[in-house]
Formats: sequence, structure tokens, C-alpha cells
Amino acid sequence: MRRSFVRGCGLFLAALALPVFAVGTATAAKSSTNKLAPVTINGSGSTLQLAYDQQVILVDFHKTQPTVTVNYSGVGSGAGRQAFIDQTVDFAGSDAPFPAADAAKPKGGAYLYFPTVADPITVSYKLSGVKSLQLSAETIAGIFQRQITKWNDAKIAADNPGVKLPSTAITVARRADSSGTTQNFTTFLNKAAPSAWTLGAGSTVNWPTDTQGASGNAGVAQIITKTNGAIGYVDFSDAQAIGMTYAKVKNADGKFIAPSTPAASLAVAGAAVNADLTYDPINVAGAKVYPITSPTYLIVYQNQTDASKGNAIVAMLNYVYGAGQKTAPTIYYAPLSKDLLARAKSQVAKIVVPAG
Amino acid sequence: MTAFSAPSDHRSLLTPRPGSRGRKIRSVVASGLITLAFFVALVPLVAVVLYVIQQGADQLNWAFLTDPIPIDRAFGPGMGPAVAGTLLITGAASMMAIPLGVLGGIYLNEYGGRGVLARVIRFLAEVMTGVPSVVMGLFIYTFVVLQTKEPNAFAGALALACLMMPIVIRTTDEMLRLVPGELREGSYALGSRKSRTIRTVVLPSAAPGIISGALLAVARAAGETAPLIFTIGIVSETNWSLFNGPNTALSAQIYRNALSPFPGAQERAWGAALTLILIVFIFTVLARLVTAFFSRRQTA
Amino acid sequence: MTTLAPPQPDALEPAPEPHGLRDGGRRRGVAGDHLFRWLALLGGLMVLVVLGLIAYSTTTKALPWFRKEGLGAVFSDNWDPAHHHFGALALVYGTFLVGALALLLAVPVSIGIALFVTEVAPRRLARPVIYIVDLLAAIPSVVYGLWAIFVLLDPLANLFSVVSSATADIPILKTLFANPSATGRSYMTAGIIVAIMITPIITSITREVFATTPASLKEAAYGLGSTKWEMIRGAVFPHSRGGVVSAVMIGLGRAIGETIAVALVIGASQNISLHLLGPGDTMASAIVLQFGEASGTYRSALIGLGVVLFALTILVGMAARGLVARVDRKTGAVA
Repeated sequence: MRRSFVRGCGLFLAALALPVFAVGTATAAKSSTNKLAPVTINGSGSTLQLAYDQQVILVDFHKTQPTVTVNYSGVGSGAGRQAFIDQTVDFAGSDAPFPAADAAKPKGGAYLYFPTVADPITVSYKLSGVKSLQLSAETIAGIFQRQITKWNDAKIAADNPGVKLPSTAITVARRADSSGTTQNFTTFLNKAAPSAWTLGAGSTVNWPTDTQGASGNAGVAQIITKTNGAIGYVDFSDAQAIGMTYAKVKNADGKFIAPSTPAASLAVAGAAVNADLTYDPINVAGAKVYPITSPTYLIVYQNQTDASKGNAIVAMLNYVYGAGQKTAPTIYYAPLSKDLLARAKSQVAKIVVPAG
Repeated sequence: MTAFSAPSDHRSLLTPRPGSRGRKIRSVVASGLITLAFFVALVPLVAVVLYVIQQGADQLNWAFLTDPIPIDRAFGPGMGPAVAGTLLITGAASMMAIPLGVLGGIYLNEYGGRGVLARVIRFLAEVMTGVPSVVMGLFIYTFVVLQTKEPNAFAGALALACLMMPIVIRTTDEMLRLVPGELREGSYALGSRKSRTIRTVVLPSAAPGIISGALLAVARAAGETAPLIFTIGIVSETNWSLFNGPNTALSAQIYRNALSPFPGAQERAWGAALTLILIVFIFTVLARLVTAFFSRRQTA
Repeated sequence: MTTLAPPQPDALEPAPEPHGLRDGGRRRGVAGDHLFRWLALLGGLMVLVVLGLIAYSTTTKALPWFRKEGLGAVFSDNWDPAHHHFGALALVYGTFLVGALALLLAVPVSIGIALFVTEVAPRRLARPVIYIVDLLAAIPSVVYGLWAIFVLLDPLANLFSVVSSATADIPILKTLFANPSATGRSYMTAGIIVAIMITPIITSITREVFATTPASLKEAAYGLGSTKWEMIRGAVFPHSRGGVVSAVMIGLGRAIGETIAVALVIGASQNISLHLLGPGDTMASAIVLQFGEASGTYRSALIGLGVVLFALTILVGMAARGLVARVDRKTGAVA
């Protein structure tokens, strides 16, 4: 009696399981358009793209795929790239490609750069009584190298005819951590003021000791907003969201242009794009171009080892290149140019996801 | 013949002697300075707590303790993942460190005695209590996280357990030492084995002190930041899994938001700070209560 | 044949062993007894194992740094990761400077509180004060850092600039107070915060030491006609010298290891200077701020800093115990 009961149960369960299997295989085939398998993917890196990732990926994308949890930690481009090399994260956020010395280090093999948005890097300041300012690259170089130490210095006055400048001491705020924003900012100074700027370009730079170091764009912004006389480089999205005051910067055509998403889009459009989709919009020609425009990338391994993670990453990138581009200007980021967007979309197909 | 010459007149001890008024003034001034030092010290200490309460009290509500963490720019409550993470990680660390620590303390006091091994372990335990927590974090990061490629709550718990264990061992050792030998003797005389004696006589007698020490270790671990920064990553939604995926903690979130220019993030930092202080205070006060309550019972 | 139980041990002697018990037929318990003993041994060995692992793992990973820089690793002032230079003298200097500032501020205050509680305050006030101080020792470092950023930095920045301009012409002070940090992040701020953090522990140890001053010593002093202050100087201090030194050393050890609060308020600028009001950096702070992005020799250097910190805390602890023993021998005080 017991055995037949058990057999009956077994048959009953098997009968139940059949349709489940049928539906299961069917949904597996359609998984790219349906809900994905529950999975968590982790990224870390650039603080310039932090606000974008938080809004577009962690919130908006997550709403369309509730079973996919994405975590992103803003620790600086350098730390993000290092975590990517060590494979303690699934993707990295970086404002600059790997330096040549590190290019072969990532332990997971070949990787791809996916540009997401662009963001101007503002030269933000806090100076009571001075609501607008314009600076040339040479002056900026002099300020950040501590050759210009007071706000009423002749060089700043020369850039700003007619503006009443106080004699307040200048406090320079810069990044203490390895930063893509630093890299792009110093690249601009290298390109636009090669004889004035002597500290070179890189994620970290040997800043003068009487400058204030902070972690992340947010840290620099915090210093500037709390200190009268402070100046530093902060990404446009954060500067706008906080309501900071920033300077107009002289571009390659000699015009003083304020940072804005249209001015950044012009820079992106005018940049040459490499085969691996990295591009350099810094100091490109154009009358209305904002010269310190930073690219930013999501770096992903080409050969994914985990099916659910791989599918999630593909879906995330597709979202960034779809609705994510429309959201960008609303949070003060510049979307990609049409051409770059098309190339980026087709690069997504290069990611190899094992059959799930 | 006494060592002191007896005064010819008792009153001479009480009559003011030449120069004694200056000495008295000096003594009063000294007392005043000492009291001043007391207030100087207490003011910043109390100011910190009061300020955290003032800033954080508005944030504390059920939503704050359970909602997911909003993006930095947003206003609004939400530190649920951090609360869960702190509880999870500290809980896991306690479950690893406290049993091992108590056992180690038992070994030191009951079995090791004056032996070489026991002396070495005692010395090393004392050394370990002084190791900066950042070194523990570094160690677990290079030894565990880089190998498993998984920042998760367990790695953080390991780092915290390394911090807690020497504290628990030393407290247990000291508390066991205070148990009078007669108790053990009596138990042996009744025919108990050593392990049974320890379990049924020695431990219960030392229990208040051991529990108190363990609670203090937990309080310390809950507040640690540096070991967690390296080992647990970050999340914005609660993750109750110990091994699966990154996590966050109140201390890590406070550290992160302390540097944020966005008022919403700053408010959440204060709320998290108040929550953390409350958790730490509850454990510390519990530890004192345990000692006070049980020692009163024992001396009664 | 039974043997006599061993003589009555005092609390410092190891626990007495059971002697000469006949267990008759109760063999079952033996295995459990052995198992328990092995478990206890395991617990004790965990300390050895973990500490050994930490020491081994961090030292081997730090070797590339020592190999590259040699003695210069710790003795040369050339911390420039961008160009692969890792001479950490500025960081070691900063660590000790912050520790010294913290002790300078914390020790007098802690001794004051301890004296207040043991000698000056009425009994009923002393107990809650002790409770409060111990409770405040529990406040996490990150909360102090948060408070410092939003409450302390701005007023301190103003104070620094005032002090700096006021002492601009006084010989030694003008160097000490030059280049005030406009954000308030400086060696001095870190020293203040660390002082606040180590005060409770120094106070608690000092208080316990003061409290053990034999009443007879104090009464003898009063009997000789001392005022309260003279009694403190004559009876309490000499008796407690060893303990106070030990407390100071323990405070120094804690100060050296302070990481998070220091990282938040020190300004992350590696330099060897006497500008107390200017930004600086310490070893622990550098580790926590720079570790995520480090690789290769850079990472090895930061781990090496951890090893140096580790060694320093051991040295300070041993010095504390050595000093205490020496002072105790000289004064004949009982520990």
C-alpha cells in the first residue's frame, strides 16, 4: 500500500513537472526579452559617472529588471580599474582607459570599453562677491601649481577685465585618490598650456603640498562649498546638482565657454574615436566647444563566465544605450553622439555569454 | 619610644603654621584645575553625543531603518541595508570569535597555567588587541577577498572576528582567574572531571564577567569601519546573505556620506551615526548591567 | 590510595589539577574530558594561528616594497606613487606627530579626570562620571570623524587663521603656526580628535591606578599635615607613576592606530614640516585612502605600512611593560 502510494505521488509530481519544464525551456529561449534570472552584478570606479549609474542603472534599469541587482561603488577610476583587474567586480567604471602599463593585466582576459555618457569637468570655485569668472588654461595651470596664490593676482585679472577680485588667498582642492577626472583635467592642461603646466597628466599627480586632497568628486565639491576662496575641478553633474559656481574656460578656439551639456556634446561630436571605442574630446576645435569634456566608460570582460551575469550585463548596456541616453541630460550628462552610439550598440554583441 | 615625637599640645596640630595658607591656596587651586580638566574633557565628549542625537533624531523612524538606500542626491530616509549589514556581519563575527575566545581563555587559565605555550598565547593575545583594525582589514583583503574574488559579509565578519577574539580571550582569562580555587577543589572532591568542573562550576561562576567582556567586544566590532571598507563592497538593497554578494554596514555608510556634499546623504549619515551609537550603547550598558546584577547576586 | 589535595592556590596561581581521583567505571567521561581539553587548546591556538598568518602574509606581501626601497622605505621622504617612489618617512613622521599632539592634549586632561573622580569628587558624583567616561569610550571612530567634519572644521579653520596671523612675528611660533589650512584639515585637528578619542582609555587606566593607592599612604600624608594637593603629589603620584606611564603608552598605541577619524580630517598631504596647522598624512590614513587603487609595488608599500604600524604597536606595548616594570622596581610599588 505504501509503495503504490509513493509511486502515485511520484507520477503526480512528474506530471506537474512536465509543463514546468516545457515553460522553462521556452522562457530560456526568450530570456533576452523577458525577465532575467535573479542575479547581482557589482561594479566600482569613477565618481564622475556615479550619479549617472545610480539613477540610470541602479534605479531605472532595476525597475525594468527587478530580479537583477546592480551595485556600484564610487571609489575612483583607478580603484575601479584595479578591482576589475583583480576580478572582485564584474565591471569597472572609468573616465580613462587603462594606462599602457596596465593594459594586459586584467585577469579575465580580453575586455571592452563601453562609452556611456560624457560630462564636462568644471573649474568650480567659491568666492564671495564674484559671481562669474573666466579662466585660460595657463591661468588654471598657474593656480593649481600654486604659482598664483591670491585671487586678485594679475593673471586672473587679465582673464577677467572689469571684474573686482578680492585679495583672498586661494585654496586649491584636488583629488587625493587615483582619478579619471584628474587624468582628463591634467590632460587638458597638458594640451592647452604645455609650457605652463609642468606636473604632467595622469590619474595621480604630484600636487604641491599646500593643496587640499579629497576623495572622489564629492569630496572635492564638499571642500569647495565649505571654504571661501577655494577652487577645484568637479564634474558638471555634481556641480549643477549642488548649485556650485564654476568658471568659463578658454577653449582651443580662444573663446571662453561655460560648461554645459550642449557644449560637451559638441566636444564629443568633434572627437576622434578609436577602434576600441575610446575617444578624446579634450580641447577639440570648435567655437562653442567646452574644452574640458570628459568621456566615461564601463569596462566589461568580453568572455563572460557566468550566464546570468553575462545576460544581465548585456541587458544593462542595452538599457544605457536606449532609455539611458534620454535620461542623461536631465541629470546633467551629455549623451553620446549618434555615430558613437551606433558603434557602441553593435559592440554589445561582441560580449560572449555562455549558454544558460 | 614612638617614631613621632608627641606634640606638647594637641592644638598645635590644628593651629595654622607659617606658610600653610599658601599651601592651602595651592591645594584649592589644584582642585579647581582638576575639576576644570574634568569639564574640559567631558564637554567635547558629551557634545559629540548630543550633536549626533540632535542631528539624527529627525531621521530615525521605521522607514529609515528598513528602506533601501536612496541615491546620494535624493533626500529621504533609508539605511535598511546598512542596519541589516551591521547586524549580520557583527553577528557572524561574534559567533566565530566568542566561542573560540572563551575556549581559548579556558585553555589559558585552566589547562595552560604557567606553561610556555600559555605564556606565548597570552603575550600574543595582548599584542593582538593593539593591532590597528586597518591591518586586519588589509590582511583579510589580501588573504581572502583577492583569492575568492568575492567581497561579501563573511569576509567582513572574518576581519571583525580577528579583532574580537583577543579581547574575548583576555577577558575570559582574567575572569576565570578570579574564580576561587576552592570552588574547583570542591567539585573535584565530589568526583567531577576537569571538563565537567569547568562547565558546571567555573564557567557559571565567571559567566557575568565573560558575558560582559563579550558584549563589550561586540560593541567595539559594531563600530569598526576600516576592516569593512576593504572587504564588503557596497549595496543599496538589503542583502541578508553572508556569502553571496557584497554588503554594507552603518559604519561604512557613515564614512562614505561624511564626505558627500549632498544634504540628503549628510542627513542619512547623521541618522546612521545615531543608530550606530544606540547599538553600541545598548551593548555597553548591557555589559555593565550584567556585571552589576550578577555580582550583586553573588555577593548577596 | 588517595593523595592530599595541593595547597590552597591564590588567584594568580593556575587552576588546581584534580589529583588522585578514582573514576571506577565512569570511563565514558574520559573521552569527553579529552575532547573538551582539545577544544580549549584549539581556541588558544587560534590566536597563534591568526596572528601568525597575519604576520606572515603581510610581511611576505610587503617584501617587494622593502626590496625596492631598502632602508629608504621608511627613512626616505619620497612618497610619489605616480612615479613609483614609496619612501614613507613623511607618513611615519605624520603618525608620530599626530600621536604626540594627541598625548599632549589628552594626558593632562585624563589625569585631571582621574584625580577628579578618585580624590576630589564626592562619591556619589564619581560613579556616574566613571560610567559616562566608559560609555564615551565606546563611540566609534567614524562618528567622531563625522562630527569633526561638520562641527569642528569650520571653527578651527577660522581659529587657525587668527592664530597664524597673530603669531606671524614670534620666532618659534610663527613656524609652528604657519600655512594654516583653509579647510581646517590639519595635523592639529587630527591631534585634537585623536586626543578626544584616547582620553577615555587613558582616564580609565589612570583612575584604576590612582584608586589602588593604599589608604595608609594617603592617611600618612594627611597625618603629616599635607593639604589635599600635597597628598596627591606626595602619595598618589609616586605610587602611580608606573601605571600612568603604562596608560600613556597604551594611549600612544591607540593614537598610532587611529585610522578613520584621522583620514577624514587630516588633509591627505604627505609632508615633513612643523606646520601644525597645515594638512598632513599618517600611515593608517594613507592605507585606507589609497589602498583601493594600488597594485604591484604600490600595494606592497601600503601593506608594508601596515606591517610597520603592527611592529610599532608591539614595540610601544613592550616599552610600556618594560617601563612599568622598571619604575615599579625603583619605587617598590606593587603592580
